[in-house]
Amino acid sequence: MKPAQYRLTEIRAFYRANLALEVDELTIASGRLHILAGPNGSGKSTLLSILAFLMKPSHGEVVFAGTQVDWQGKQLASLRKRVTLLHQHSFLFSGTVSANVAFGPRARGMAKENVQRAVGESLAMVGLDGFESRDARHLSGGEARRVALARALACQPEVLLLDEPMAHVDKQSAQIIESLVVSLSGQGTTVVMSSHYEQLGQRTESKVIRLLDGKVEKIVEGNGEAPSRVVDGYRYAKL
Amino acid sequence: MGFIAESFRTALSLIFSADQDVFAAVRTSVGVAAWSVLLAAAFGIPVGVGVGISQFPLKRVVIVVLNSLMAMPTVVLGLLVYGLVSRQGPLGGWGLLFTPKAMIIGQTLLAVPIVANYTLSAIKGADSRIVPTALTLGAGSLRSMMQLTREVRFGIMAAVIAGFGRVISEVGVAMMLGGNIRWYTRTMTTAIALETSKGEFAFGLALGMILMAVSFSINILLTFMQESHQP
Repeated sequence: MKPAQYRLTEIRAFYRANLALEVDELTIASGRLHILAGPNGSGKSTLLSILAFLMKPSHGEVVFAGTQVDWQGKQLASLRKRVTLLHQHSFLFSGTVSANVAFGPRARGMAKENVQRAVGESLAMVGLDGFESRDARHLSGGEARRVALARALACQPEVLLLDEPMAHVDKQSAQIIESLVVSLSGQGTTVVMSSHYEQLGQRTESKVIRLLDGKVEKIVEGNGEAPSRVVDGYRYAKL
Repeated sequence: MGFIAESFRTALSLIFSADQDVFAAVRTSVGVAAWSVLLAAAFGIPVGVGVGISQFPLKRVVIVVLNSLMAMPTVVLGLLVYGLVSRQGPLGGWGLLFTPKAMIIGQTLLAVPIVANYTLSAIKGADSRIVPTALTLGAGSLRSMMQLTREVRFGIMAAVIAGFGRVISEVGVAMMLGGNIRWYTRTMTTAIALETSKGEFAFGLALGMILMAVSFSINILLTFMQESHQP
């Protein structure tokens, strides 16, 4: 049996003196779509930053694919190469779309001939074929979001973390992002996505983790109904 | 007014006749300033980036020191380096005093705080999402820093240009460490000071015009490069 993608225990994260996240126990199964739901300030982005290994929690333990995270040196660098976070307000580097999308594969040591293929395929996946030579700073909001998603996809991560990927984008871009997210999780990529858009969770095989005031309020199966039992790999955290 | 106009004509004549004294001073000035700013960039840019992105207990003190060093009087700096490279100094055996190398050492020390401070400002003004984005795409710390530096390259270029402007226009270090030796360590600024004191106003004016032209050209080039790369 595959180990859980993440197992979080007694996690506490502070911003200065403010407790931003308090999760007693949370397990995220591998190869599935998870939606982090909750109002602004509920801790979604903080949790994603921890899952992306960008933020070390003030307290607690994170186990990733069976390995305890020590938040140091080579292990941290190696773990970061297995996950990718698409930030809520994603930043595109100056230069061309192609250079942006190629950044991750190059950083991850992908062979040169495969980088261009990954760039082309990723842009095609988000419906932006032919955008390679466009200036990344001269794109519409929706296009920029899709380029950022293509850049994340080109890394071919084991875990794709998305922070409000459908916020402030046009309908077409939202549809493309939604279908991609569903398709990727169907192919075995672990996807954790924060969203106010819980309907997606109701339509798909995803699991919805509802956060409130930094705590896991409840975990809901894809049909939108709260489970009457502890579901695969999930346990209620402190309510 | 006639004196100024006559001097101006003589100055132009010296420039267009490629006067050897004028161009020897120009060559020395530009050469020493270029080496100095190159070395200052090699030290100052990493210092600015390092201080900008790191959090450490004495960070504010370091920033205050860097700021203060920008106002370091050139003659004082020249004096300190003179103490090091003079015959009795710890580096006296290297025979550096009154050579272009001594001038490069002094001018590098003069430019490092400027380059570091301007770089620090550029880093502080950079988008806070650059490093996390690079990290989450799989870049290591070094590569993330390089990407950050790349994103603020125009700010860093301005830092280097500011450093160049400072060293090419200073007199104290060049005079004290170079000794104003004709065709060897005489720079445009030291020549202007010397020739004007000798009453050779036209010669000083010719060098002053070239100095201004060099400074303006570099600033025009920088502005052009910035505008052509900005969205």
